[in-house]
Amino acid sequence: MDRMVEYFEDLGDEHEIPGYDVEYQVSSCKKSGVMTLKLGDKGTYVVNKQPPNKQLWLSSPTTGPKRYDYDAEHKAWFYNRDQHTLKHLLDTEISKAIGININVPLDSKS
Amino acid sequence: MLRSTIFTASRSLFAKPSTVVAARFYHPKVIDHYERPRNVGSLNKSDPFVGTGLVGAPACGDVMKLQIKVDEATGKIVDVKFKTFGCGSAIASSSYMTERVRGMTLEDAGAIKNTEVAKELCLPPVKLHCSMLAEDAIKSAINDYKRKRAAATGTATGATASASA
Repeated sequence: MDRMVEYFEDLGDEHEIPGYDVEYQVSSCKKSGVMTLKLGDKGTYVVNKQPPNKQLWLSSPTTGPKRYDYDAEHKAWFYNRDQHTLKHLLDTEISKAIGININVPLDSKS
Repeated sequence: MLRSTIFTASRSLFAKPSTVVAARFYHPKVIDHYERPRNVGSLNKSDPFVGTGLVGAPACGDVMKLQIKVDEATGKIVDVKFKTFGCGSAIASSSYMTERVRGMTLEDAGAIKNTEVAKELCLPPVKLHCSMLAEDAIKSAINDYKRKRAAATGTATGATASASA
């Protein structure tokens, strides 16, 4: 999660993307965190930690809300309804939205 | 003007480094449903024409129960009740859903999307999950009703079969 936030912050610094803004709020207990990624008129993405059931929740402006579970074997976050990964969805949707190919560090390979 | 004043005031109140809380406001529609929730209560879950949907993650603090009573002849939802433990948006989403599905056929009710709920209540991105919970709840209630009917018909057929055998 921290690496992903850092990645999006760097992305904003390196490219001129209209309306781009990243914000990360961590609760006082440091357990939960909410990343808000604004892409101007392309909408707002939110990814937040759900410590009680160890999920990451995503809210996409184009495809709506989803919950992801971590799979230790594949070292990736999977959506249990169709088994796509959070990384796959973010890479696909955001690359399309901003016209820059992105590679979010959310699995073992990155 | 008033809104911006409150915003500034609450920001300064909460803007301590250790507890940085962004001041956010619920949309008036959410507050309306929260303060005057529609169709709160329970239906008899052992009634053969009542479908119960129970969704959510208790660990996260969101549990939504939505029940529908269906008229078998018309296939329409004649009564609907909910009970929700959760945030204002979760309560408003379920309250709105009960209003929305009353009088609908099961097919139409099952086709309601979370986006419709989110749009109606003007939910912010971080609260879209609440509308999804409402969609899951009505779908779960419909499935429960269908399962009950299938079981009831199945038992009836089974009974006839064993009687004739």
